[in-house]
Amino acid sequence: MNVVVCVKQIPDPADPGALEEDHTLKRTGKLILDESDSFGVEMALQLVDKAGGGDVTLVSMAPNDETSGLRTALAMGAAKAVLVSDPALAGAGALDTAKVLAAAIGRVEGADLILAATESSDGYTGTVPEQIAGVLDLPSITFAKHVEVADGTVSVQRQTELGYDQCESPLPAVVSVTAGVVEPRYPSFKGIMAAKSKPVDQVTVADLGIDASAVGAAGAGQQIVEVTPAPERQAGEIIEDDGEAHLKIIDFLDGLKVL
Amino acid sequence: MFEWSDEQMMVRDAVRQFIDREIRPNIEALEHGDTPPYDTLRKLFATFGMDAAARDRFKRQIDFERAVADATERGEAPPQKPGRDGDGGASSLTVIPIIELCRVCPGMVTAMGVSMGLTSAAIMAKGTIAQKERWVPELLTLEKVGAWAITEPDSGSDAFGSMKASARRDGDEYLLNGSKTFITNGPYADTVVFICKLDEGNPPAERKVLSFVLDRGMAGLEQSKPLRKMGMHSSPTGELFLSDVRVGRDRLIGETEDVARGGREGAKATFQQERSGVAAMALGIISECLELSVAYARDRVQFGQPIGEFQLIQEKLARMEIARLNVQNLVFRFVEMQAAGRDLTLAEASAMKLYSARAATEVAMEAVQLFGGNGYMSEFRVEQLARDAKVLQIYGGTDEIQITHIAKDLLRR
Ligand SMILES: Cc1cc2nc3c(=O)[nH]c(=O)nc-3n(C[C@H](O)[C@H](O)[C@H](O)COP(=O)(O)OP(=O)(O)OC[C@H]3O[C@@H](n4cnc5c(N)ncnc54)[C@H](O)[C@@H]3O)c2cc1C
Repeated sequence: MNVVVCVKQIPDPADPGALEEDHTLKRTGKLILDESDSFGVEMALQLVDKAGGGDVTLVSMAPNDETSGLRTALAMGAAKAVLVSDPALAGAGALDTAKVLAAAIGRVEGADLILAATESSDGYTGTVPEQIAGVLDLPSITFAKHVEVADGTVSVQRQTELGYDQCESPLPAVVSVTAGVVEPRYPSFKGIMAAKSKPVDQVTVADLGIDASAVGAAGAGQQIVEVTPAPERQAGEIIEDDGEAHLKIIDFLDGLKVL
Repeated sequence: MFEWSDEQMMVRDAVRQFIDREIRPNIEALEHGDTPPYDTLRKLFATFGMDAAARDRFKRQIDFERAVADATERGEAPPQKPGRDGDGGASSLTVIPIIELCRVCPGMVTAMGVSMGLTSAAIMAKGTIAQKERWVPELLTLEKVGAWAITEPDSGSDAFGSMKASARRDGDEYLLNGSKTFITNGPYADTVVFICKLDEGNPPAERKVLSFVLDRGMAGLEQSKPLRKMGMHSSPTGELFLSDVRVGRDRLIGETEDVARGGREGAKATFQQERSGVAAMALGIISECLELSVAYARDRVQFGQPIGEFQLIQEKLARMEIARLNVQNLVFRFVEMQAAGRDLTLAEASAMKLYSARAATEVAMEAVQLFGGNGYMSEFRVEQLARDAKVLQIYGGTDEIQITHIAKDLLRR
C-alpha cells in the first residue's frame, strides 16, 4: 500500500516568530517539520508496515527549496518526497495550497491513501485536507483518531466531542489525522544517515502545470489587513487557605456552572 | 571539521529529545533512588537502533575472523583485512550520545561505557571466536550488564605490581580467589571480566596476568551492594569477592596461558577508546555548566545589576568558554582521526584525558561558585555535575598517571 502524507515545514515554534511587511509569517530561516504532521507520518509508516509493503511519500510546499523538515520525516522512515518550492507561491492562501498539493500528489504513482494533519501549527486554517479532497474529487474523512485499511476500504474512528464516529470510505481517500493519536517514533541513527540520500522531487508551479498568477498572493483573493497580539493571559487569583479555601473553590466551580 | 554536520545535528537533537523526555524527569530516581540505569539505557539503544547496529558490526567482525580461521586451517592464505580507511565519521554516533547524556547524567555513561566498552573490548581483543560469540553480543546491546575488574583494595594505579587476585591450576580447571573494589556495575553485573595472576608458586612479579569471564551467580562469587560515593550516583559501583570460584579453560580469555608480555599489555589496549570517551564526557559537563551559568549570570541581580556585569563573574564565563572550545576541539580531532583511520598515540590520548578531566572539574566547580548558594543546592543542577566531574580525574588512570604516560611516551620515541 502506498500512502502520501502532506507535511508542512514551519518556522521553529521555539523561536520568537516575526512577520513580513504584508503581515505573513517570516519563513526565511530554517524550517522544521510541523509537529502536528509527525502523527500523520507515524500513522502512514505503521499502515504500510501492517500492509506488508509499499511506500510512504511526503508532499510539501515550502519556500527556498527547504528540505530540513522533510529530512526529519525521511529519517523516520518515509521513502521519498515531492517538494513544491516557487517564489510565485509567496502569500498563498489555503485553497492555493490545496491546489498545489493536489497537483503534487498527482506526481506520486499509485497513491492509495492521502493523510494530512487536521491543521498546521502556524496557520491553523484547518481546511487544506478537505480542499485537497475537493480538488482531487476524492472522499474525505476528518479528525481520524484510528485508521485501518483492508480490501480497498479505509475504516476510521472519527473523533467527536462525545466519542467517535465509525466511518468507512473506498480508497483512494483523504484522511486528516488528529494530533497526539499515535506516538511518533524517534528517527534511528541509521535512518538519519540514510535520509540524506533519499529522493526529493523538487518542482515548481510550472512543472505542475499550474498558472503562477492563479496561486500565491496574486491568486489568493485575500489580504491580511491587520495583526493584533493575542490578549495577555490574566493573572490567576491566589486564595490563601485559612481553612475555608474549599468553599471558595466550590463557589468558583459553581460560577463556571460545572457543578 | 569545526561543527557537527546536518546529520550529526539531527542525531544530537533526537538524543536530546529522548533525554528530555526519558531521563530529565527521572533524574531524582536515577541519582538518589534505587533505580539502576540499565533499563533506560536499553531503551535509548533500542530507540535509536544502536543495538541493531552493534549486532551487525559484531557479525561482520566474526564472519571475517571465521573466514581467516577457516583459510588458515585449510593451509590457504587468509583473506586480507579490509584496509583501515576510516570509519566515515561513525565514531560521532557514539560520541554525541555521550556528550548529551553527560549534560544530565554522566553516571549513565560510566555504566554504559564500562559494560559495552571495557568489558566487551577485553573479550573482543583477546578472546577466541567461541568466547566472543558467547558473551559479547549481549554486552554490546546491554541485554547483559558487564563489569571489568582490575582494581583491588591494595592495588590501584599500580594495578599489576601489587595485584593479589589469583588463579591456581586444579586439574584441567582453575580456582580463582581475591577481592576487587570500585568495580563499576559490580552490584548488577551479569558478566564479569576478572583480572588476576597465575600463581605457579613463582614470585608475584613474574606471574602471568590472566583474565577470566565469570557469570553472575557462579558458586563462590559474591557481588556487594553499591558503595556510597561522592558522585556518579547513577552508576552503581561495588566490590567483588571470589573464594575458590571453579572455572574451566573455556572462561580463560584466549583459552591459553601464553599471553604476550606476561599479560600486562592487554588491559592497556583500550586506552584510546576510554580516554577519548572521558573527553566527550567532559565536553557534555562543560557545555551544560556553561549554558546554565550564562543564563544565571544574566538573570541573577545583585547590587542592582545582573551579576554578569561584574568582571569577576565575566572571568569565570570566559574561562568556561575557553575550556569548552579546547575540549570540543580535542573531541572533533578524535572524530576526524577515526574518520581518517588514524589512532591517537598514548601521549595524545593521555593528554586529552588529563586536560579534559581537569577542565570539567574546574568548570563545574566554578559554575557552583557562580550560582552562589543556589549552586550548592541540587535543584540548580551544577552541584551534581561538579560531584560527577571529579571522578574523571581519578578513574581510567588518575591525572598523575596520565602525566607519567604522556612523559613515558614522549621520552621513549
Ligand atoms: C567511580 C569509580 C569507578 C571505578 N570503576 C572501576 C572499574 O570498573 N574497574 C576497575 O578495575 N577499577 C575501577 N575504578 C578504580 C580506579 O581505576 C582507581 O581508583 C584508580 O585507578 C586509582 O587507583 P587507587 O584508587 O588505588 O588510587 P592510588 O593508586 O592509591 O592513588 C592514590 C594517589 O596517589 C597517586 N599516585 C599513585 N601512583 C603514582 C605515581 N606513580 N606517581 C604519582 N602519583 C601517583 C594517584 O594519582 C592518587 O592521587 C573505579 C574508581 C571509581 C572512583
